[in-house]
Amino acid sequence: MKSTASNKAGMLNNRGKVSLKERRRFLGLGLKITGAFLGGSLLSLVPAESARSELLGASVIGTFPYQPHYAMLIYKDRCIDCERCLDACAQTNNVPSYGYRITILNRKKNIAAASKMIREFLPVLCNQCNRPPCVRVCPTRATYKDKTNGIVLINDSLCIGCKACMTACPYNARYYDRNSESVDKCDFCFRRRLQNGVTTPACVEVCPADAMFFGDLSDQNGDFYKRLHAPGQNILVLRPESGSMPNVFYLSGLHGGSKMRAPE
Amino acid sequence: MKRLTRLFFLFSSLLACLGTAWQAGAQEYGGGPIVFIKPVRAVIFEHRVHLGKNLTCQSCHPEIFAKKAGQVEENDDFTMASFRQGKYCGRCHDGTTAFSVDTDCTWCHIGVQGHKHLEEYELGIK
Repeated sequence: MKSTASNKAGMLNNRGKVSLKERRRFLGLGLKITGAFLGGSLLSLVPAESARSELLGASVIGTFPYQPHYAMLIYKDRCIDCERCLDACAQTNNVPSYGYRITILNRKKNIAAASKMIREFLPVLCNQCNRPPCVRVCPTRATYKDKTNGIVLINDSLCIGCKACMTACPYNARYYDRNSESVDKCDFCFRRRLQNGVTTPACVEVCPADAMFFGDLSDQNGDFYKRLHAPGQNILVLRPESGSMPNVFYLSGLHGGSKMRAPE
Repeated sequence: MKRLTRLFFLFSSLLACLGTAWQAGAQEYGGGPIVFIKPVRAVIFEHRVHLGKNLTCQSCHPEIFAKKAGQVEENDDFTMASFRQGKYCGRCHDGTTAFSVDTDCTWCHIGVQGHKHLEEYELGIK
């Protein structure tokens, strides 16, 4: 009793300092917390299939696959950043100069070649996810996934411009349109072309390098389905760990299927 | 003070000499990279990369390419399709002499962003 009292008194005296035991306990707690965070980030390194299973709580909206199930296929090695798709998109959908519906990411390629200017390009557009994070966060349900074809659309009159969907989107595929005071994004040209009977979006039509293909995944006899399901291909999606189940697939394949040669 | 001015004069003359020598060297192989913006923007050609691989000026000029840089852009058949038939770049880039035009797209196609990068950082702002 006496000892505890003196202990207490001691603690009161050393109010600024922390006892060794206390410090150890605190450090242990910290390690546990960082461990938990490490576990979380390690999860994102595992392949897409198991990462997907972690997100089974979130449900696929509508019936999957949709009829028709629109999807896009991009051969990433074929893109040459001519930006014809950007021009065609802006023209078709009245995209303002500050906005974008499709972007082309680029970076310098680190290969031991003679030229310093070799780059690689990656077109990124809305992935029309089967589990769209943007739809889940929208407070007014202005953005929604079309029940029949699965395209993520925006109802301009309901959008309040809170930009929650812009932060939720893992692909940074949305921008705020100051004219309509609503968020705008790629809709596979649904409103301007597909609705009116045109079979392809504007970007796919103008691509000179055949880097982009558009089609219906529910049609198992179609050219697009066969192209995507050809054996021996490594199909990639952007950010599989986000669990959004995107509908834009990336393939690495040059014309004729030859691989990048080693520099001489 | 006099010494300082003399030093400055010496240094600047040295720099000027070096500059002209560099320019002469560049003139020898066409003066830096050539960027084609037709029919797609942008395709880079560097003399630096091509010379010295059993290639001399006469290998390409004036038979395949006119000596004026960018002249060939005016031709309507300056396209990938005619390269595959062995015209222009396709004369060598056929898969045996040099890599085929059907592969390694980005080795020459630097794109719009690559062109901007080149203008801003590699060539200096005009």
